[in-house]
Amino acid sequence: MESTRALRADLFDPASLAALGRIEIVARWIVDGFMTGLHRSPRKGFSVEFAEYRPYQPGDDLRYIDWKIAARSDRWVIRQYEEETNLRASIVLDVSKSMAWSGAALRSFSWQGAHAGAPARDGGAPDRLTKLAYAERLTAALALLLLRQRDAVGLVRFDDRIRTSIPPRARTGQWRRLVGALEEPGTGRASSAPEALHQAARLINRRGLIVLISDLLMELPDVERAMRGLRAAGHDVTVMHIMDPAERDLPSSGEALFVDPESELAVPASMADVRAAYKATVDEVIGEWRTMFGSLGIGYEIVSTDAPFGVPLRRAFALRQLLP
Amino acid sequence: MSFLAPLYLLLAGAVAVPLLIHLLRRRIGLRVEFPAARYLARAERENSRTLKIRNLLLMLLRVIALLAIAAAAARPVARWLGAGHAPTAVAIVIDNSLSSSAVVNGRPLLDQFKAMARDVVSSATPTDRLWLVTIDGHVRGGAPSVLRDEINRLEPIAGSGDPNAALARAATVVRGGGLEARQVALLTDGQRSEWDKVPSLGDAQLLLFAPSAPPPSNRAVVLAEARPIRWTPRGTVAARILSRDSTTYRVSLNGRTFARGTAAPNEEVIVRAAPPERGWVAGTVEIEADELAADNVRYFATWIGAAPAVAVAPAVGPFIKDAIDVLRGSERVTDGHDIAIIGGDELASLPALITAPIDPVKLGAANRALERAGVPWRFGERRTGDASVRGTGFDGVTTAVRYDLVAQAGAVAETLAVVGRDAWIVAGPRYVLIGSPLAPDATNFPVRASFVPWLGAVLTERLVGEPGQVIMAAPGAQLPRPRWADAMEGSTGQRTPLGETLDVPARAGAYFLTRGDRRVGAVVVNAPPTESVLDRYSASELRARFQAGRTLVTNDPATWQATAFRGASRRSLIEPALLLAIVTLVVEAVVIGARGRRAA
Repeated sequence: MESTRALRADLFDPASLAALGRIEIVARWIVDGFMTGLHRSPRKGFSVEFAEYRPYQPGDDLRYIDWKIAARSDRWVIRQYEEETNLRASIVLDVSKSMAWSGAALRSFSWQGAHAGAPARDGGAPDRLTKLAYAERLTAALALLLLRQRDAVGLVRFDDRIRTSIPPRARTGQWRRLVGALEEPGTGRASSAPEALHQAARLINRRGLIVLISDLLMELPDVERAMRGLRAAGHDVTVMHIMDPAERDLPSSGEALFVDPESELAVPASMADVRAAYKATVDEVIGEWRTMFGSLGIGYEIVSTDAPFGVPLRRAFALRQLLP
Repeated sequence: MSFLAPLYLLLAGAVAVPLLIHLLRRRIGLRVEFPAARYLARAERENSRTLKIRNLLLMLLRVIALLAIAAAAARPVARWLGAGHAPTAVAIVIDNSLSSSAVVNGRPLLDQFKAMARDVVSSATPTDRLWLVTIDGHVRGGAPSVLRDEINRLEPIAGSGDPNAALARAATVVRGGGLEARQVALLTDGQRSEWDKVPSLGDAQLLLFAPSAPPPSNRAVVLAEARPIRWTPRGTVAARILSRDSTTYRVSLNGRTFARGTAAPNEEVIVRAAPPERGWVAGTVEIEADELAADNVRYFATWIGAAPAVAVAPAVGPFIKDAIDVLRGSERVTDGHDIAIIGGDELASLPALITAPIDPVKLGAANRALERAGVPWRFGERRTGDASVRGTGFDGVTTAVRYDLVAQAGAVAETLAVVGRDAWIVAGPRYVLIGSPLAPDATNFPVRASFVPWLGAVLTERLVGEPGQVIMAAPGAQLPRPRWADAMEGSTGQRTPLGETLDVPARAGAYFLTRGDRRVGAVVVNAPPTESVLDRYSASELRARFQAGRTLVTNDPATWQATAFRGASRRSLIEPALLLAIVTLVVEAVVIGARGRRAA
């Protein structure tokens, strides 16, 4: 069991895993590892069609054991089904400048949450992915997972305007198209989620799932208005709030001029002075987002960029399981 | 407050560092990209008041710490606060007068003084300057170990010493000590008779310890006197005992007790005697020992000899013959040729009571006789007319005829009576010279009632035996050297030649003065009777009496010891300054730590 867990890519350190290959490969590893650990078929729908048998593995749901075969051959096999789906999902990915950041800039300070590890790609800290890099891999994995369930998956990339818009499709080649879009370079300055969310809703011509992956460094009322519209249209929405650990816990000491790369807002501060107040403020902001999303029936998860991809993937999968 | 090393105050300039850090902290050069800067701004906005107060507090703590360190380096001293003591010049004055030997609680008071003084000496630092001053005015300076030895050797003196001189010298030495902090630390029993007058100590602080307990009840011999000084051989010893009740006494001569008795309080006791001893002898009057044993014995000295044999010249007149008959009848004189009572013109040898010649024609012969006899006086101009005589025992005596008494070179004599400004009777070694003939038409002195006693005293006290006298002196006193003596005989018989002065021994006793091989007098050393009166001043009375820069009077030995070096001196503030710096830095660490914990 331990060897199985050790090989599961969804439980790897994100930065270490990302260093092993491109988004496409890494995402496959993540999804494969995730499905191995699931121990039951992810495919489930209103109309299912038998596909094949496979040997029983401990943890498989006993409902799917073919008891006739077991009685005849004294072998336990599991019936596997292919399902048809009518879920249309759209992943809305924030690619603004604030997303292209990791806690590397604060490495000169005595940041308590620093971890040793392999260097990362995409301009992130050697031991941590930027929020964008992390979000891109998570998006790819999530899309692959949904596509394997026969769901139609689309993608909207946005910063201060919409950069990419791929309508949801379940056909073969959709995932490669999505991955190709994710590998497109360039980020703008600010984030403008409302327009992207509306665009995502427009891409789904009937009720569907919209997943917003963003650092939410934007104005809450604007997002709230957009979310109300989505919810009014009957869409299920979930938000994955991507945060670098350094954004939640400042280093314990040091002084610097902290500059927002999007707005150029500059704040001089001593870490020791404001650390506690900053943490309280971040918690307060998270609480505000959580309250707002909760009031709209929107799922909200905080995703730390040092968490293995399996963690947010599992949450998204659980949400998907709740949908028809 | 002042600083012993003020240059180090320049270190205080370091306070500019935290001030600049505080003022310039918003001018931070390090620029860091931080997307969540909006949260940071919001956090600062919502906590700005707390942050400002905390930063201000930290800045103040750092400034205080730096100031305290700079102040400590500058070696601050102050009167009102501090630990240890600044370099201090201290003169410890120990009242080792006779009264300090009184036993209180089974221990001489002086022993307590010595113990307290030793403790103070032990608490001196190398930067202090110390002196020990005893109540007789002797000053000793030196290292603490030297002074401790001096203190250990200290004994009570037989008298009251010279408290004024002791305090004045103590004030002088601390003034000359070259230190700003000066203290005179006095240990005394606060005896009223001793501190009747006190000198000013200037700006030196006086730290005075006096016991609060009442003095012990004391009995003392306050008078012991041979009357007259020369016994022929009869005489008396007058004694007075200071006590609250009757006290037994003992009178002895040369160690031989010849009288005992019981004296009522303050009664003058007269003991008559005709002892067999001859020459100069010492005697004592003693009582039972009490808490102050030193004044339970008092010394006297007297000359004892046979009654002088007197030869009266016929020319001196009938009154002297009648007077001598009276004295002979009382066995004070006998017939013989030891002493001549004679007119000046007939003088052949000394000792003699010499009168002026009745016949003025014989004046020249008289002066020549005086010169031959070695009497340094001459009869001068003859004066007539009634004139009053002044002198002890000469009340109502007048003269009608008299001669001026003219002193010759080297004349050393005692004037016993004067007329106007002129000497009328002078006395020198082995002679008494009268400026008038003792005849009724020249003076009424021979017919006065005082004449016979005066004549008896002159014959038995001035002219009998060797010339010399008894000198009553206080212990340790310094007196002019008597011309009639050249050495002093100690208690063990050894003789010490006299110098220009007569240095009276510090111990009570009778010390004989000698000339050649013969005893010619005595120095009787006794404590002043007032030293036996142990009444003490209260602390408040003492405080009011002394004039000093600052006076602290205490009855508590611990307070006295604790205040030594500190009361007058400005104490060192180095330790408090360092303590303040440490406390400030600890508080700063706590504030920062609390901030860190909240941040975590």
